[in-house]
Amino acid sequence: MKARAIHLVVNGEQASGEVMPRMLLSDFIRDDLALTGTHVGCEQGACGACTVLLNGRAVRSCLTFAVQADGASITTIEGIAGPDGELHPVQQALRDRHGLQCGFCTPGVVVTACALLRDDPQPTTQAIREGLSGNLCRCTGYQSIIEAIEQAAAVGASTSADGTVA
Amino acid sequence: MTTTTDPVIQLEVGSGGGLIGASTPRKEDQRLLTGHGQFTDDLHVRGMLHAAFVRSPHAHARILGIDASEARALPGVVAVVTGEDLAKLTSPMVVSQEGAHPMVMETLPTAKVRFNGDPVACVIAVDRYVAEDAAELVDVDYEMLEPVLEMHAATDPGSPLVDEGLPSNLHTRQTKSYGDIETAFANADRVIETSFSSQRLTHVPIEGRGVLAIWDKGRAELSFHSGQQTAHVTRTLLAKRLGLSENQVRVISPDIGGAFGLKIPLFREELTVAAMAMTLDRPIKWAEDRAENLMASNHARDDSVSIQAAVAADGTILGIKAELWADYGAYAFYPPSYMIDVVGWLLLGAYKIENYEYTINVAITNKCPAGTLRAPMAIVTWATEGTVERIADELGLDAVAVRRRNMIRLEDQPYRSAPGYLYEALTLRESFDEALDRFDLEQFRRSQASARGEGRLLGVGLATVLEPTTYGSAWYKASGDEGSGHEAATVKVEPTGAINVMVGIIPSGQGYETTIAQVVAEALGSTTDNVAVRLGDTHIVPYGMGSRGSRGAAAGNGVAYLAALTARNKVLRIASHRLGVPIDSLTIVDGSIFVIDEAESRLSLADVAWMCYMDPTSLPATEAPGLEVHQTYDPPELTFSNASHVCVVEVFRDTGQVEILDYHVVEDAGTLINPMIVDGQIRGGVVMGIGQALYEESIYDDAGNNVTSSFVDYLIPTADCVPNIRIHHVETPNPNTPRGIKGMSEGPVQGGIASVALAVSDALKGLGVTVDQLPLHPSRILGYLRAAGAQDD
Ligand code: FES
Ligand code: FES
Repeated sequence: MKARAIHLVVNGEQASGEVMPRMLLSDFIRDDLALTGTHVGCEQGACGACTVLLNGRAVRSCLTFAVQADGASITTIEGIAGPDGELHPVQQALRDRHGLQCGFCTPGVVVTACALLRDDPQPTTQAIREGLSGNLCRCTGYQSIIEAIEQAAAVGASTSADGTVA
Repeated sequence: MTTTTDPVIQLEVGSGGGLIGASTPRKEDQRLLTGHGQFTDDLHVRGMLHAAFVRSPHAHARILGIDASEARALPGVVAVVTGEDLAKLTSPMVVSQEGAHPMVMETLPTAKVRFNGDPVACVIAVDRYVAEDAAELVDVDYEMLEPVLEMHAATDPGSPLVDEGLPSNLHTRQTKSYGDIETAFANADRVIETSFSSQRLTHVPIEGRGVLAIWDKGRAELSFHSGQQTAHVTRTLLAKRLGLSENQVRVISPDIGGAFGLKIPLFREELTVAAMAMTLDRPIKWAEDRAENLMASNHARDDSVSIQAAVAADGTILGIKAELWADYGAYAFYPPSYMIDVVGWLLLGAYKIENYEYTINVAITNKCPAGTLRAPMAIVTWATEGTVERIADELGLDAVAVRRRNMIRLEDQPYRSAPGYLYEALTLRESFDEALDRFDLEQFRRSQASARGEGRLLGVGLATVLEPTTYGSAWYKASGDEGSGHEAATVKVEPTGAINVMVGIIPSGQGYETTIAQVVAEALGSTTDNVAVRLGDTHIVPYGMGSRGSRGAAAGNGVAYLAALTARNKVLRIASHRLGVPIDSLTIVDGSIFVIDEAESRLSLADVAWMCYMDPTSLPATEAPGLEVHQTYDPPELTFSNASHVCVVEVFRDTGQVEILDYHVVEDAGTLINPMIVDGQIRGGVVMGIGQALYEESIYDDAGNNVTSSFVDYLIPTADCVPNIRIHHVETPNPNTPRGIKGMSEGPVQGGIASVALAVSDALKGLGVTVDQLPLHPSRILGYLRAAGAQDD
């Protein structure tokens, strides 16, 4: 196996690396780019903690090889809040509604919710529940996450985010 | 530093700033929401190596030899070690239990493997990919042994021994008897029998176990970075087992991605990594993968309860006999009797029953070892409430009336339960009544009947929960288990008035950084923004017992509150001296010290703090310099909270699916510090209970292979299958704890299991079905309906 060079844009900045073909995107983001906000909860594609936006689409970075992201634009949890740390409406709503406890699932929840609200700015509760059904949370019982996403939708989260997410 | 172990609880109310009881947004959220939390696997240090474990593919086999030559030859592999190597570097774990044989667990097994997933060797390599490749190349020669897979059969003559150091696979059999059980049964109009079995399941924090161990050769110190609920106890064990002095070990628990009782023991993998970091003088990290977590961390709940209830025709419960069984798995991480015995002494629940006898049986089998999963006694509420329902059914009485007839009321307390526990300020009956005020049962019965008429199966489950939250050291002494229930805090008002607080409890989602800031700010008349809470680092935090049970509020927040009150008293003594006014005329609000009724503050908390450090000669002669308080607090033997749950379900005949239509909780956790956080604990706990009632199960096949090693096979609740939960708080303060705090977080699991299971049972009532085994997944429900001939085809 030979390492391959990849070039991509991560949270609006150029990034590149030399990766083995089998390296997972999640490992590349966490270990090579030191963006450890993207969490790994299963490496089985089931928990959603590793969700990132790849060319705007929510994907599981544990099911994606780093080489597949060559040339792509990626948004991770670190790219969601404003540069001064100002919370995105989805993040703010999760804080207001106590939509996180341990916070391990939270990056995946935030990224998934941002993509969901961009595609469906006024989702029904059922649509939110279904849209989040691939993000496992062992702490909250989900209700507060669902309510938070409803709150974010109510304040127009899909249009108030920075360009990459909205 | 002032050191106090004040046996008198200071019930003095702080500044009355209203911080206790406020749903303050959490201080920890900013970092967690923006990807700046720091979890174990996020840590990275120069020269770090990675560990992977070789695990047994068999349930029970003798290790004849391990050939690691091929693995060692793989480029990037630094070391491969086995149980034989680790036996030279570490000492084994010995778990003793009063009146029973101690159980010994080697760091890695040398003679045989005892369950599918048992670690047999550890590979250390430059990265995890290489470590895992090499683990595949380690060749272990096994001689297969017959596995012991069924707890009741574990004692069959001829059954092989799981642990050859024990005389039998039945490790524990103990009977405890209270009152006059013979007479109770002799006088009974009826004896009603029930049984309840829970499936084996596991904790499933979304972050698995892991550790980064760093050996500092120059200082001869080990730092052990790992999400640990009881970091100090882990430190003590690590030092002992590595042959180090306790002051050579530092345990640092970073952010923890969920724990639920899993992250308490010192796991063998973690100890191995620490020993190898020392031996190789290289930092080593291990992060378990999901398959390891599901197969080989800890399991729980593999237990059953059979009850005989002696009752009078009017529904009075005269006595209970119970036979309890627990499948403990292959090794002991805790005294084997510990968890199942809690089921025993809690089984009388909310009811006044004086004559009681229970027998516990703990079997050792070739399965993953048992641990303490949030509410280790979780089956208990279902067993108690299910029995009361059955009594009502069989006597032709109303189940609500039977409950009320036997329930303990507030006015009956202080009440001592048959097994000897003191109940105080519990609203078992009153919260039950409150729940039925909020949920119109009569109305539901009418809808249920008309739905039945249309062929639909609706049911309601009522469950009154008695939750033991906080164990004092007296409990440990009485139970014969090693340990203590006290807790410790240090409150430092720094020279500028900024406050640092260190407490021995360790959060994994409970928001302690916020709640402790609330109680300390309230006691000291400060603001939560001015209080930084530092937890989980044994170098800076005083020795505490960590987070287990539901002790965080009463013990952990309680001791921080008491320490802050001690600091407050010092501040006020100094201010009184300085201002020449009596101490009881002073108060502190938002960091300013006021003479009560004066509009202008004359001195600030920061002024006094500055004086304490930088100008101590100005202090009264009786005051020592500095403004740091170290305090310990030993809570009462046992503190309880209570709740009542109501769950409404529909069971679908054609698919066997269960849908939860409505869910209510009335919770009495005494004084609440942060109601928003308590609500989060209730919702998360109930959903964990729903998971157990309906979905989750760790399954072994006939050969003892774990067939649930991924999230495809092991199902936890998802966002689209859980209900909204309506919560009402009753706040009855406990008279014996700081501020009347009781604590909670395990009760919602107990109530969730019970109310869902009873609702399903109610939905199937009249169909000849007895719901006695979890989980109630579609195939089990369809099986019930088929057996009863009640399934639509
Ligand atoms: S880590 Fe990628 S889905 Fe779980
Ligand atoms: S907040 Fe802990 S897993 Fe979701």
